[in-house]
Amino acid sequence: MKAAPFCYHRPGTVAEAVETLAAFGDGAKVLAGGQSLVPLMALRLARAEHLVDLGRIAALRYVRGAADSVAVGAMTVQAAAGRDPVIAASVPLLARAIPFIGHFQVRNRGTVGGSCAHADPSAEIPAVAVTLDAELEASGRGRPRLIPAAKFFTSTFTTSLEPDEVLTALHFPVWPGRSGFAVREFARRRGDFAVAGAVCAVTLGQGERIERVAIGLLGLGAVPLRAAAAERAATGTAAGDLDVTEIGHLAVADTDPPDDVHATPGYRRRVGVAMAARALTAALEEAAHG
Amino acid sequence: MTVAGRYVGQSVRRQEDPRLLTGHGRYVDDIVVPGMLHAAFVRSSVPHGLLRGVDTEAARALPGVAAVLTAAELHPGLHPMWQTMMGQDAPAAPFRPLADADVRYVGDPIALVVVESRYIAEDAAELVVADIEPLPPVLDTSAALGDTASLVHPELGSNLAGELPAAGSPELDAAFASAALVATETFHQHRYACVPMETRGLVAQWDPAGEQLTVWAATQGPHEFRAICGRVLGLPEPRIRVIMGDVGGGFGQKMFPMREEIAVVAATRQLGRPVKWIEDRNENLLGGGHAREEQMTVSVAADDAGHFTGVRVEQLENVGAYPFPGNGSTAMAGSMIFPGPYRIPALSYAARAVYTTTCGRCAYRGPWMMETVAREQMVDLLARRLGMDPLELRRRNVITAEDLPFTTASGMVYETVSPAQTLEQAAELIGYDAFRREQAAERERGRLLGIGLALYIEPSQSFGPLGTDGATVRLEPDGRVALVMGTASHGQSLETTMAQVVAEHLGCDLGDITFVQGDTAYVPYGAGTGGSRSAVVAAGAARQAALALRERIVTLAAAVLEAAPSDLEVASSAVGVRGDPASALPFAKLAGLAYFGHAALPEGAPVALEVTERFKAPPFTFSNACHAATVEVDATTGQVSILRYVVSEDCGVMINPMVVEGQIAGGVLQGIGGVLYEHMVYDGDGNPLTTTFLDYLLPTAAEAPAIEYGHVETASRLPGGAKGMGEGGAIASPPALANAINDALAPLGIHLTRQPMSPAAIVAALTP
Ligand SMILES: Cc1cc2nc3c(=O)[nH]c(=O)nc-3n(C[C@H](O)[C@H](O)[C@H](O)COP(=O)(O)OP(=O)(O)OC[C@H]3O[C@@H](n4cnc5c(N)ncnc54)[C@H](O)[C@@H]3O)c2cc1C
Repeated sequence: MKAAPFCYHRPGTVAEAVETLAAFGDGAKVLAGGQSLVPLMALRLARAEHLVDLGRIAALRYVRGAADSVAVGAMTVQAAAGRDPVIAASVPLLARAIPFIGHFQVRNRGTVGGSCAHADPSAEIPAVAVTLDAELEASGRGRPRLIPAAKFFTSTFTTSLEPDEVLTALHFPVWPGRSGFAVREFARRRGDFAVAGAVCAVTLGQGERIERVAIGLLGLGAVPLRAAAAERAATGTAAGDLDVTEIGHLAVADTDPPDDVHATPGYRRRVGVAMAARALTAALEEAAHG
Repeated sequence: MTVAGRYVGQSVRRQEDPRLLTGHGRYVDDIVVPGMLHAAFVRSSVPHGLLRGVDTEAARALPGVAAVLTAAELHPGLHPMWQTMMGQDAPAAPFRPLADADVRYVGDPIALVVVESRYIAEDAAELVVADIEPLPPVLDTSAALGDTASLVHPELGSNLAGELPAAGSPELDAAFASAALVATETFHQHRYACVPMETRGLVAQWDPAGEQLTVWAATQGPHEFRAICGRVLGLPEPRIRVIMGDVGGGFGQKMFPMREEIAVVAATRQLGRPVKWIEDRNENLLGGGHAREEQMTVSVAADDAGHFTGVRVEQLENVGAYPFPGNGSTAMAGSMIFPGPYRIPALSYAARAVYTTTCGRCAYRGPWMMETVAREQMVDLLARRLGMDPLELRRRNVITAEDLPFTTASGMVYETVSPAQTLEQAAELIGYDAFRREQAAERERGRLLGIGLALYIEPSQSFGPLGTDGATVRLEPDGRVALVMGTASHGQSLETTMAQVVAEHLGCDLGDITFVQGDTAYVPYGAGTGGSRSAVVAAGAARQAALALRERIVTLAAAVLEAAPSDLEVASSAVGVRGDPASALPFAKLAGLAYFGHAALPEGAPVALEVTERFKAPPFTFSNACHAATVEVDATTGQVSILRYVVSEDCGVMINPMVVEGQIAGGVLQGIGGVLYEHMVYDGDGNPLTTTFLDYLLPTAAEAPAIEYGHVETASRLPGGAKGMGEGGAIASPPALANAINDALAPLGIHLTRQPMSPAAIVAALTP
């Protein structure tokens, strides 16, 4: 379990990082917190002739709140994001998802951007990004661009980032009004990647009707999913009339979950139903009672 | 109950902890020898195939590479290998450190790359190209015994690694013929593994001028390591020095050097340069030895009151390709231990062990434990068929104090066991009857709660070569004590408990003792730490040596004080006339006289303040325990939550209750791992799927329940009264949990007989 040889680069700016990536093309890889990349390299399942460490780019570590959105620098470590007061107040769903990521040692090094760029379909932050319709900001040799979360995650461990692009920030919209947020997931052990999970945001309007709802699923496909049919069915319904289990079934209906040593697709769907129902219930509860 | 001594019986804090817990332990990977090379193995990625050729040219050309050794280079001149405990003629897989004409499991070492650094070693290993023509894998134990099966070891002519034929009896036939009820079930245990925190590893150094081999090894038995090096290399044992430093667990895996370690030692000898090999986690999971994969069919005949009248057992073990030790079969031990804590008048036990193209089986804490796993689940199953509570069925069959001495149907003689007491204590501690009431009420509300019991009797293994151990106790010139032992403590706290025994019997202060083990150049011969033998055999030697040295010290003091030895007392590292504290001579003073002031001593006063003793133990000493667990099963996710976990244990006189409880806790966690988390999975083609900790799930502190302990102390007949108990936690926890889970699922009419009982497996059973 020793990595194959590589050259190590430590740029001080995003521009320099992009230059280095561009210079080495496919042979280069970005290193963020290393919590996914380093073990993969040690197992020689991932290789990079050139490793471009973003660790010294201080400009990528920040949390900035605005009226309708919060920007999180890509190199913000998960633990810092998890205890950030702006995130806690304005993007509670993200704050609540972070404790489910691995163990504190992992969260102390793993980054918000790395989690998205790595694109594990069971990861929490990508699911939150997709659920809240976050935008991901990338810088390459061309102009910086904003990629909607739904377009960012293209398949398991695959994103729409170009090889010379660095993910620089995530922009999370703030949900106003009487909103509630919840994360529920099932993992084999505390800290494991979820077998299946759901993240949910909901806003209540007049007459306790569901004005807006977003349900995201993790572990149930090749990318973090949005449960569109379930959301449609729930929207406009009075919270008290909602059959959350039925919504849960709708949420997983069209999914094609992976099969591995821990769970069959059928098992993941079954757990997914329960997690979606439980997350929705908790989010509604919060929206109704604060 | 025995009265605790000044040290024996006290929960003395672990002497090794300040070193280990502050990160100052010295493990084999901390050893650096000038000129040392690093080894990496090229391993087969194919479960079974003909090795057409191994191209090592590119690897050899890589700068830094000292050698790339295949079987053709490494094997010439090596002698046959066998383990002392098994004997020279025991059935075993063919011995070959590296794959020769074929590969026999994924992970089979094909070549050994010896390089300046481990990084480059892995670069070089990647450049070695093995040309393998695949053969059909051998995975299913039943199919492996069929006529058309491909052979794992063609030179053996069969995949049958070992067989224990059923020895029936007219009494047994009669028991089945007249039974009111016969229940038969097959229980399956899956493959899981030792997974010590520290993987295997060694540094080996050959001194060609002095013809001496030095090996620093992560081992459970330096002398056995030495013996095997001696056999394979044809060297006299005293020419080999095996040194163990701190070792981060073994659980059986490090009891015997396996193929990789032997290959590294052979390479050192051939190259004349020191070589280090530290197994990585991936290798450890892939090829470090697996365990537990087996099935057992139990038929029990009972009368209408539920008394067992006879039992038939059939075991089928998957021992993989290269098991260690011997053929990897645990059947002999299983057949002796099966009756366990119950009156079973007649028994037959048949077993077959089968080679497959998977990683070989190695010893794992209570290697024979399938007997308890199957027996205890069978008791619960029979109780269900009888409509009787499993506690009641156990009460009717358990061996009681009145039954002692008791000879089992397999010929084991119990004199000092207390299974009935531990059963009652565990039931009491867990509040068995109250739980039954709570369970019934909660079932009404749809909650699935369950309770499970498991009883067992654990043999400390002190038969044959395992039957003796040695200890040297030496009073040093400054009055402090060196305790030099043949043990190989690697997590068992022997540095503490052996010192407690010596301090107690020598009469010195605990802090005056320095414990030394693990260097074959200096320590008495020891058969290794394993088989729950240390509290019995090693402690016996420590006690005997301490008492003998005490006698010498008293004799010396008597001569100096001109008093009768019988008038003297020893306490706190001093000897004086009883009732006259002012007369007390500190050990330092006496040692000074013996080493330096001997001219002034009277004739006959002893000056040799060093004693080596060997203790010879009976073949088995039996401890016993009862585990009780309560669980809740989530019917949606299949998740099992352990609500409470109770162990009532009788290991005789406890040297250190905290250490006893620590041993239990570690074992219980391994059983929890086995039932709920750990699973070494092979796919249908023979490829291992769980070779990192991402997929091989160990229970962590977060999954550990608070374990509650009860102790019954029935002294054994040994001097000191101890019994071995190191393995039991891992033996009884799997069936206790399986029984609790099945009890929870009982209202749904489900009874699982296969492990692991993972969430997905439970859900699969719930949704047929
Ligand atoms: C024991 C353990 C448990 C874990 N459990 C969980 C869990 O439960 N949930 C979970 O979500 N995660 C889990 N993780 C993964 C963890 O969250 C990782 O930190 C995360 O997936 C990757 O973030 P990183 O900063 O470590 O990225 P790295 O490992 O450094 O990089 C990961 C990948 O992303 C690319 N990359 C990183 N940053 C950028 C960037 N700014 N621009 C472009 N590409 C980039 C890298 O090139 C690499 O391909 C676990 C990890 C471990 C070791």
